[in-house]
Amino acid sequence: MLEAISQNRFAVVAVILFGIGLLNIMLQQNLLKKVVGFSIMDSAVFLLLASLGYIEGHGAPIVEEGSANASLYINPIPSGLVLTGIVVSVSVTAFSLALIQRIYRHYGTIELRELLERAKKEED
Amino acid sequence: MSDGKEKSRWRRFAEWVNGDSVARDPTTQYVMDRRPARARAPQELHEERERLRLKKFLGLYPLAASVLCLTLIAILFATVLCIPPFGQPGNPTNNEVSRHYLEYTEEETGATNAVTGMILSYRGFDTLGESCVLFLAVSSVMMLLQRDGNNTDEQTLLRLRREDAIERTHPDNILRKSAKLLSPFILLFSLYVLFNGETSPGGGFSGGAVLGGGLILYSAAYGPEQLSRLLTRRLYDGVRIAGLMAYALTYGIYIFAGANGITVEMEWMMTVIDLAVGLVVACTIYGFYTMFQRGKL
Amino acid sequence: MTVLENILLAGLVICAAAAPLCKRLLATVIVYLAFSVILAVLWSILQSPDLAITEAAVGTGISGILFFLTLKKIRALKGTQDE
Repeated sequence: MLEAISQNRFAVVAVILFGIGLLNIMLQQNLLKKVVGFSIMDSAVFLLLASLGYIEGHGAPIVEEGSANASLYINPIPSGLVLTGIVVSVSVTAFSLALIQRIYRHYGTIELRELLERAKKEED
Repeated sequence: MSDGKEKSRWRRFAEWVNGDSVARDPTTQYVMDRRPARARAPQELHEERERLRLKKFLGLYPLAASVLCLTLIAILFATVLCIPPFGQPGNPTNNEVSRHYLEYTEEETGATNAVTGMILSYRGFDTLGESCVLFLAVSSVMMLLQRDGNNTDEQTLLRLRREDAIERTHPDNILRKSAKLLSPFILLFSLYVLFNGETSPGGGFSGGAVLGGGLILYSAAYGPEQLSRLLTRRLYDGVRIAGLMAYALTYGIYIFAGANGITVEMEWMMTVIDLAVGLVVACTIYGFYTMFQRGKL
Repeated sequence: MTVLENILLAGLVICAAAAPLCKRLLATVIVYLAFSVILAVLWSILQSPDLAITEAAVGTGISGILFFLTLKKIRALKGTQDE
């Protein structure tokens, strides 16, 4: 099994990071740390995707003049998918941070327990 | 006469979208004001029961969440050990699609950077969707964080104006001198990365991000009013909308012409799309910064 | 190259595990920025220069600025209050 791990080290690390991010989202009490955990999950998925396109010994997919030989470059498709993903991930992070600012403005705290208590008190 | 009717139709539509702020008749107002009567125990017993319920929930929840997460991680782990080994050329992901992209991207799109050629012409719809996501993100952040005369009270407006005045009279010298030195180079570099996306690493996203970063540095050093003089609200909105529409139009013409066999001279398409994407990304990033910092553009 | 990759991957896991365990929010954000920088270097090693530029500019720079601005607005930075 150790050999399988060392053969697929990027994917294994991506799964570990995904697990860390998921644990943070579910178990943290501070809203800002939940957002950080969400961002870590995003990066884990991008790591897994981009590692699928790598070929040992080949170079970056900038095609030189006249030598359009496909066996000299890595697979460009996962790289393009991840490029879109990174920008969408930062947009989602920015939106979550704006939501946190509004929550703080309204309730005065960003800890989850106190937030629940204050919301319940306001409802009554 | 018709103008009056048009105005009242539009006004009715706008009021329908915005919703009622005051009730339309006295009965609804009475129901809105009065809470429904609930049969409840006296105050202390009720609070005690609520606290106990919250404690039980908060005690059970971490255990259930950890069990769920660890199960999921174990399943993913077992799956990921069975995928094909990393970096072999014979993997199922390296099929004829990537071979076609690498071999024909130079003559079909005119770009030597295979990734840029792929995301702007072969898979251009993905990039169009992602530009729409950026547009939507800035609009939502504006809706959440904008503070203008309509939705803030007098006291907060005065406090914000006072903070702005304080910031204006105490400029940060290190920031100002280094921004004076660095901003021209950053903006020049961002234009270089933008326009050279086809022949070297870079492209719309990277160039737009660096451009946004340069605008943020300038705005942080010299104060946001100086930049607002150049980048007014109308210009900002116009650039965003025009960028997105230019992308959609150009890419639509390209796909339509290609699918129906009409040959159109499309050498400049990639440059236009690159520029549009870069401007949309830069406006997004700068919009995030000003909304977070000041609450208005 | 394998040794460098292994060290960077280990650093990635350590940063991700340590970021939410910090007591102060400022420390969390800074460790998260370190995570982003290591990730940018990893994209370079995986031969994707577009990803490296974009991650360094957007993931580290822009995301960091937004986090710090939010920290200021929720009054979690000591010494920057205007009162």
